[in-house]
Amino acid sequence: MCDRPIGNEVSLKKTVVILMLSGMFMFLPGVQAVYSDDSPTLQTRSPDDEEYLEEDAPRITVADPLFELNQAVFEFNDKLYFWVLKPVAQGFRAVVPTPVRQCFRNFLHNLGSPIRIGNSLLQGKMDDMASEMCRLVYNTTFGVLGFWDPAKEYPHLNPPNKDFGQTLGRFGIGNGIYLVLPVIGPSTLRDVAGMAGDVVFTPTAFIDPAVVGWSLKIGESINDLSFRIGQYEELKDAAIIPYESFKDGYIQYRKQKIDQP
Amino acid sequence: MFTTRIRCFSVLILAIVLLLTGKSGLSAVTSPMEALKIPIETVLSLLKDPKYKDPAHRQQQRNKILEITHTLFDFTEMSKRALARNWKSFSPQEQLQFVDVFADHLSNTYMDKVQGEYKGETIVFLNQEMIAEGKAMVTTKVEREPSPISVDYSMLTVDNQWRVYDVNIEGVSLIKNYRTQFDQILTKETPVQLIERLKKKVDIKIGN
Repeated sequence: MCDRPIGNEVSLKKTVVILMLSGMFMFLPGVQAVYSDDSPTLQTRSPDDEEYLEEDAPRITVADPLFELNQAVFEFNDKLYFWVLKPVAQGFRAVVPTPVRQCFRNFLHNLGSPIRIGNSLLQGKMDDMASEMCRLVYNTTFGVLGFWDPAKEYPHLNPPNKDFGQTLGRFGIGNGIYLVLPVIGPSTLRDVAGMAGDVVFTPTAFIDPAVVGWSLKIGESINDLSFRIGQYEELKDAAIIPYESFKDGYIQYRKQKIDQP
Repeated sequence: MFTTRIRCFSVLILAIVLLLTGKSGLSAVTSPMEALKIPIETVLSLLKDPKYKDPAHRQQQRNKILEITHTLFDFTEMSKRALARNWKSFSPQEQLQFVDVFADHLSNTYMDKVQGEYKGETIVFLNQEMIAEGKAMVTTKVEREPSPISVDYSMLTVDNQWRVYDVNIEGVSLIKNYRTQFDQILTKETPVQLIERLKKKVDIKIGN
């Protein structure tokens, strides 16, 4: 899996990423949770219960002063997805067998380890940092340079992903303003700064000539998208105002990432 | 000793009755996780049932699933929460209409996804947590390639039954997401217009 930080995602894949992501479970207690002792007391709600109003409680929102520009970019990305990215990803999926796409994905995810290690450190999450380091060593050796992902079987080796946008958020820096980036999709001022910060940790960013790094990035995005064709349409379809739905989804998603212990 | 036996025995009888009736009429002993797990697993078995592979039986499968989801999900509570303070600006009739059309919209959207895309993914029920009296959060994980998805259900008790009032997918609350959209629409439009909007969306779906 490959939800490398925002910068690495071409396309609306980013928007799709909002809802559909990644291994964030450190343990798996399984189905047999114990509930004998904490049996909750049942209580019936009266029809005029006004508890639903709690949804009015102040929620995290984001300023959107560039609304018109953002919306234009949103429309552009939508067309780009349907006219270019989706057909390309479909073609890619048809031509390249799934195991090969999976290996490519694993390899690039492994290459992204420095971002996750660095940001775990910056966020003071030493256990996660250790897990990421183990994972890197394990997959690079037993997974043959990371083309395979044997660490997948060990939930504790798969801590939640980290990026510099999250790190900034943990430092108390707010979203700033909402931005829809061409190709990449929903973001905020803080997360754009995060993307810039993560370049430091991105091995592929230092490849010379740069065109190789860029090609890898585009390849990665198309490859990622090939696993998620159709998800963007579903999210868009479920929305009444897609622009607002993706904006809120992105903000909620990032907040959850930042708040996780 | 003797009383323990009697207790064990009555628990056994209870379990058998539950199994036989397949209903949670005795929900006072049901935990939120159980209240979620039983219907979801029934839906999964409907989805796996080879009988419904035939497109002719698709509608039948859909109806059976809808029957289950309408018991599991409290669409009235979901509507109230998605509208929040705006709920009161709806007339009682409009409230009923809204609940209906919102339920249809959610069912259509997610049913298409589930019916069209189910590839034998399993759902792992991870944990349940009481968040307040009569309110709980059940965390689950959908095992799916290339990576699992976390889905958490917010549940509350209505008439002694645990029912779902919100779904969180990877930390994104469905109800909060709709809340933002409805709020925005209702600053410019009337409740009737919002209901019309939703109706149109539902009709287009059915038309397909």
